[in-house]
Amino acid sequence: MASLDIDTPRPSALRQYWPGTRKAIGLMLLAALAFGFIIPILWMTVMSFQAGEKMFQLRTEWIPSVWHFENYPNAWSRAPFGQYFLNSGIVSLAVMVGNVVFCTLAGYGLAKFRFPGSGFVLLLILSTLMLPLEVTLVPTFLVIHKFGWINTYQGIVSPLLIDAFGVFLMRQSMITIPKDYLEAARIDGAGEIRILLQIIVPQCWPALSVLAIFSFRDSWDQYLWPLTVVSSDALRTFPLGLVQFGEDYGNPPTEQMVIAVLATVPVFLLFAVLQRSINRGFGLSGLK
Amino acid sequence: MTELASIGQYESGKGTGAEPSARPFWRLGYHSRVSLWGFAFVLPTLIFFAVFKYGPMLWAIELSFTSYDMVSSPQFVGLDNYRTLLSDPIFRETLLNTFYYIAGSTVLLTVSGLGLALAINTGIPGARHCMMVMFLTNLMPIIAVCLVWRLLLHPYGVVNQILQPLGFGRIDWLTNSATAMPAIIMVTVWRFAPYFMVVFLAALLALPDDYYEAAELDGAGPIRRFCHITLPLLMPTIFFVVVVSALLCARIFLMPYLITGGGPGNATRVLSMLIYETGFSYLKMGQAAAISVVLFAIMLVFTTLQMRLFSRSERIYA
Repeated sequence: MASLDIDTPRPSALRQYWPGTRKAIGLMLLAALAFGFIIPILWMTVMSFQAGEKMFQLRTEWIPSVWHFENYPNAWSRAPFGQYFLNSGIVSLAVMVGNVVFCTLAGYGLAKFRFPGSGFVLLLILSTLMLPLEVTLVPTFLVIHKFGWINTYQGIVSPLLIDAFGVFLMRQSMITIPKDYLEAARIDGAGEIRILLQIIVPQCWPALSVLAIFSFRDSWDQYLWPLTVVSSDALRTFPLGLVQFGEDYGNPPTEQMVIAVLATVPVFLLFAVLQRSINRGFGLSGLK
Repeated sequence: MTELASIGQYESGKGTGAEPSARPFWRLGYHSRVSLWGFAFVLPTLIFFAVFKYGPMLWAIELSFTSYDMVSSPQFVGLDNYRTLLSDPIFRETLLNTFYYIAGSTVLLTVSGLGLALAINTGIPGARHCMMVMFLTNLMPIIAVCLVWRLLLHPYGVVNQILQPLGFGRIDWLTNSATAMPAIIMVTVWRFAPYFMVVFLAALLALPDDYYEAAELDGAGPIRRFCHITLPLLMPTIFFVVVVSALLCARIFLMPYLITGGGPGNATRVLSMLIYETGFSYLKMGQAAAISVVLFAIMLVFTTLQMRLFSRSERIYA
């Protein structure tokens, strides 16, 4: 034992191969975990191609013996889903743009300016996190009713237009930008809007991407508010149409899965487009 | 991290301290002009919140003392709405369900979020890709989540198919009042745990390496390193996650509404569902407003906690 040389340990077989093996086992476990997580998503996709009667078998048929591609056009034609998706698209894009614009403005105002009461204003904005639409549902409906916006796009969009989380996210991402940049730009005679667009925004792409996808997802998902404020079929968003579809027609659940898949695709696509930027922006959401 | 902290100091260090105290008057004008811009940037958001958040909440408090059906004008009834709520067994059950749901989901979300983040943070190649895959569950529209899980939790569904070989009998997840709420909590965890994983991961990546190096030199094993370094340093994040997930769960509507419809009996009815039904199915706006005030009070408690945490984390992070 005394001759054991601590500084240059003898490379035993275990020591040599253990890190690699450990990593391989770890990766396999993680991959299994990730796979377990997306089983419901896979199931949804598979079932959208299945025959209706195969849905409730004792053993799920994971690879359809016959791929029923016709489920897609069939489901699509049973209700005006084109209209529903168009409505959802209009609403979600409007909400996304509103959040990106106003949260950037407010975040910038709170991160880089000191005005009397700015600390209080931040608390005021954050305090709306305890006033989600579920809490203020009845009076918000009455406000929209007063405006005469029942059964209109602006009625669906307006209460969702700004979210305090987005303001805070943008503030946190801007607060680390050195103030010297702004002062230098001001001395060079740049206006405040120009400073925001040319100096601040280019440094905030990750946070903006996170904000964009979260606000898009949340309004794309929104069920309770359109349910409350919309009664005409022409303005239904797809979540309303989808639930109606399941209840009204007694349609095969496979066709519900078709619509569920179609509803998932836009969010995943947006995620794929913004992924690189979101990957960096994820660090920020931890500081929210 | 240190860079971040030093910038934060610059930010929070009373800003203009470096400037001479006796400024010429035109400099003052310049500064107030700049701060006016700052206020102008925030103003649209403040107006928006006044119209769609503070105003409605004040209106809800006012409405909660009235009886209002949207046809005749509101009648002042004093505390009647609250008295009715107190004596209503369905309301009491709903309130208990809401607390059960918040507690169960929050504990499981925090634990699983931290567990997943620790698993991702092991430095295994490809872990980042696994994280992105798991995050997909957080992007799937909740409406699709609910429809899919309602079928997965069917007595002959996939969940039972997976559990049966492990020795569980056939569980009637959604039609048994003892398992319906746990089932909804399970769906909640599936959907939101990856989000909190990302939050925890961001915090884990920000932890300083030198503590771990020192501990390793001193011969501390992975479990002791976790208990004595990671956990204490993560306390602010854990607290943050607990509060955020409690706020998230307090307002839950769609999952119980679509997966069980509040049943069996009232086993999964939560406050937001009761608000919707009371207000828009029975047109008792005053009564619904009173339930809103109760839900608001619950959110207020958690938000106060969060504000405290926020003012503390400002010192830590910013």
